[in-house]
Amino acid sequence: MARIIAVHSYKGGTGKTLLSVNLAATFAKRGKKVCLFDLDFRAPSLATLLKVEKSDHWLNDYLNGTCEIDKVLIDLSSKVDSIGKLFVGLANPATEAIRDMSGKDRKWEMRALGRLLALRDSLLTDMHFDYLIFDTSPGLQYSSINAIVSADLVLVATTFDRSDVDGTKRMLRELYDLFEKKTEVVLNKVLDAAKSRKLEIEEKTKDIYQVPLLGVVPCFCDILRAEGGIVFAHEKPDHPFTRILNEMANEIEKT
Amino acid sequence: MANEERLGRKPLHVLEKIRENLERLNDKMEVMIELQKHGRKDIQLPLADAPLDVMTLLSMPDHLRKTAMTVCRVGRATADEVAEQTHRARAVESAYLNQLVIMGHLKKERKGRKAYFFVERETKE
Repeated sequence: MARIIAVHSYKGGTGKTLLSVNLAATFAKRGKKVCLFDLDFRAPSLATLLKVEKSDHWLNDYLNGTCEIDKVLIDLSSKVDSIGKLFVGLANPATEAIRDMSGKDRKWEMRALGRLLALRDSLLTDMHFDYLIFDTSPGLQYSSINAIVSADLVLVATTFDRSDVDGTKRMLRELYDLFEKKTEVVLNKVLDAAKSRKLEIEEKTKDIYQVPLLGVVPCFCDILRAEGGIVFAHEKPDHPFTRILNEMANEIEKT
Repeated sequence: MANEERLGRKPLHVLEKIRENLERLNDKMEVMIELQKHGRKDIQLPLADAPLDVMTLLSMPDHLRKTAMTVCRVGRATADEVAEQTHRARAVESAYLNQLVIMGHLKKERKGRKAYFFVERETKE
């Protein structure tokens, strides 16, 4: 069963954070206990997106070994009005913290991997979380690969942009395959995603990537208009994007 | 009385040292046997420190990565336990684990008749 999900991509701006936040909210709405982690230490964004103004402890502190994971978690269940529970573990957005994280050595990264792997016991087993979702940094970053290694399922957010397609194909072959990770693709920002083209898009994607396609998200002007300030799964329950998220959550629950 | 105690302890201490050295020798012999079995004659001394980070995992040959990943996930395991996860033979896993020890990526510790392999993540600084 896929309980730790890493959301990754080759390029930036493919919709990883949008997908992570909304999937986490979708599961929480279904009564699940979910924790969303910001593992994009180069450009943290969840604090702004979820309007968390300050935190006493950050995910950086947990990975540095200066606090335990329960100190990092912030309960946002009331913000998404869910039956379940939604917690977040945030990356410190301060410039000094970003600089500090970018200068870590291999030994530190090895210990950070150990601490990420330990979340399976501390959060899934001891604290009874149903899902952990890692929002990662694009490309081959240490923090992202640590997240991929720790995950049961990797969701790759991708678009039909040519350089993104080429890079994603390479990552599938040279990264996820090497770690024997179950990988599924989410195609985002698709123009002309009418129902009549659904089969054609699905076949094209499977042909390119040779891995299952979890979902197709059309290019919604509403998403751009929201400027990253709306959790669709919570605030727009009837929006087509929320329907697509529910379909993706159904598929993940089946695995 | 104090002198007698000291004299009594000394042989015990010497025996303990001999046992430790024999165990170390045994470990080295085991590594040599495993490597010879798999056609490697260029036995190297264990490297002091080679962190098992994800980039190192990525650059490893597939057969060693599978073993190293299993130890990373499980934390601490015997060759039997690794073999159970990878569905490969115990002897094969034992050779790969010892190779990873030689490369400095894993540590090995004996407890009785069992040898445990693990990633040393905490520094001794």
